Amino acid sequence: MKHKIVNQDEISGMRTVIEPNGKNFQYWKDIWRYRELAFNLAKRDITVRYKQTVIGLGWSIINPIINMLIMSFIFGSVAHLESDGSAPYSIMVYAGIIPWTLFSKNFTITSGTFLSSAGLMKKVYFPRIISPLGASIAALIDSLISFAVLLLIIVISFFLTGFTPCWRLVLVPAFLVLPIALGFFLGLFLSPFNIRFRDLNQAVPFLLQVGQFLTPVAYSFAVACAAVPEKFRFIYELNPVAGAINAVRWCIIPDNAFHWPSFISALVILAVFAPIGLMAFRKGERTFVDLV
Amino acid sequence: MAAKTDDRPIILKVENVSKKYIIKNMKTLPSNPTKGQMIRYRLRKFEKNDFWALKDISFEVHKGDRLAIVGRNGAGKSTLLKLISRITEPTEGRIEYYGRVAAMLEVGTGFNSELTGRENVYLNGAILGMSKEEIDKRFDGIVEFSEVEEFIDTPVKRYSSGMMVRLAFAVASTMDPDILIVDEVLSVGDMKFREKCLHRMNEIAASGKTILCVSHVMGIVRGLCNRAIVLERGKMIYNGDVEHAIKLYNGINEEARITSRDLFDLPRPRYLNEKIRMQHVDIIENKTCIYKWDEPIRFVLSVKVNADAEDVSLRAVFSCDNGASAACAFVPLHADFKSGESKNIYVSIDRHNLAPGDYKVGLDLTQDNPYDIYNNVDSITPEAFFITVKNIGSEDHEIEDNSARLWLNSWGHSRIMETTGEVRN
Repeated sequence: MKHKIVNQDEISGMRTVIEPNGKNFQYWKDIWRYRELAFNLAKRDITVRYKQTVIGLGWSIINPIINMLIMSFIFGSVAHLESDGSAPYSIMVYAGIIPWTLFSKNFTITSGTFLSSAGLMKKVYFPRIISPLGASIAALIDSLISFAVLLLIIVISFFLTGFTPCWRLVLVPAFLVLPIALGFFLGLFLSPFNIRFRDLNQAVPFLLQVGQFLTPVAYSFAVACAAVPEKFRFIYELNPVAGAINAVRWCIIPDNAFHWPSFISALVILAVFAPIGLMAFRKGERTFVDLV
Repeated sequence: MAAKTDDRPIILKVENVSKKYIIKNMKTLPSNPTKGQMIRYRLRKFEKNDFWALKDISFEVHKGDRLAIVGRNGAGKSTLLKLISRITEPTEGRIEYYGRVAAMLEVGTGFNSELTGRENVYLNGAILGMSKEEIDKRFDGIVEFSEVEEFIDTPVKRYSSGMMVRLAFAVASTMDPDILIVDEVLSVGDMKFREKCLHRMNEIAASGKTILCVSHVMGIVRGLCNRAIVLERGKMIYNGDVEHAIKLYNGINEEARITSRDLFDLPRPRYLNEKIRMQHVDIIENKTCIYKWDEPIRFVLSVKVNADAEDVSLRAVFSCDNGASAACAFVPLHADFKSGESKNIYVSIDRHNLAPGDYKVGLDLTQDNPYDIYNNVDSITPEAFFITVKNIGSEDHEIEDNSARLWLNSWGHSRIMETTGEVRN
């Protein structure tokens, strides 16, 4: 049955074969071909979000700042929790908010991608992963703006409190990859569950809220570790997102030591869930159009 | 036909393709359920049924072919296009093609109402798989074609729906794929723009592109395509010549043709006084509702008289698929009806002189002056029944020159319609 098409030299262009459950070797090539679409979708997300607003992109500055102020007020000023080393509480919190936001946004994007972009996916072909990639790029741009604000806050607190960051600050962008990848692939892994049963879509915001309190976003990892009974401490230390946050804080706060257990836990979970997540997504994208 | 095209390379090959959907239907609970039934219903509210949207479809498309896919609603046309354009996967079978496939399944997909026309052109282009350079190159052409120059930097939400659709079609039609898939998108915009779209499609066709086209408008199929396949309930029943496919398609449609219809409960305009109410219409001497240009259209209309009415006549309005009135036949009955009567009106439109095409036929009963619509006493518009007027095709060679000329002369002149009507008990 699989005979070749006749006179194929007369036809330029790639050969495409569509089969049920077929291996699509073109997929990765297609992703490259459609890379511009990812950027276009990211651009759309950002442009549309701030259309008809006065402050516009300023909102991506205001949002994390307000968040930081609330958290450092409640946990720092009211609850009198200790900060890490010499760092002002606000800087420590802000350094946690950036990776946490990246994680939670990517997780939300990829886990819900089959529902949120169903309209588009049902009408046009493109490698489906382009859609969450685009949204992820948009989230990254927001976070980079937040990071710029963090730099500004560091400069201000240098003059106010004399807090000096260390040289490791330049490593922050590299360590931001970790929360992005964690959120992205864990979300991908869950994305097919959203096709048949949409309960997950309802559960995700709730899970993330719980996760935010379990993860040292608003408080110091060291303080939290000290509070957890010794028996369960190693479990707490295996929180992969904490690993990502610790790494970013290590870059910013000179007194922090690098916390290996959580970091390695993050790498291991990533190594496991990146391939599984991709596979789950690829399996889901084949026929989700018929089910959503 | 097939023998002629064999020397051209095959660009698309569909082999034994089937597509199954699993349909979940909510079970219906019996009106007085037993406990067992109730429990079973609670546990399993849905029953799953397999539905084969496509079954064992095979065909080949040669480079430069313009293939029409025709069939009734639900025949599987769109499913087939979705499989070829990789939106979803077949359950069985294999599809193979060379080069780039681009689908115009629904124009304006991915248009965002907050973005400006310009931003949308780039976004939509990217969605359709074009690179920025490609769009840059074609941008002026797109804007010119869509006729929205002035508003290109206005958010699309301020556009009229026509403007948006024009812009969307302009973007989609600048794609330069090896195989272009078109699904009923040519019915967008106003008439002038539709012509423009059709013209663009013909240009693309003439340039030697391979096109797959789904349309219910046989005129478009005829004008654009050189080959056709006919689908019926997921199966391919014909593959070959366009004219024959259209005949088959019309044949399929025969089932849907109604030669007898109850009219009493159809909606009426509000202003009617209900003196007389049309009850039923029967088309006689024709089982298919397909007429030749000179074949009389005969039907019996039964009416119920609720109040005395004098000088009643009938008018039949023929309108096209798109709703535009095409012709009007006046049947001067000048009948007087008494309250409580039930009557049959025998109508024969002996020479309808209609151009080939599909027509809806609306019926109006009028008083005093049949030429004035404000005298209606009962009215069913736009459709009391449906007819097709056949093309004067190759099989009508016996038509003499004279009558062909008469047909041409009278094209569109409704006043030439010759009608007779008679009221019986």
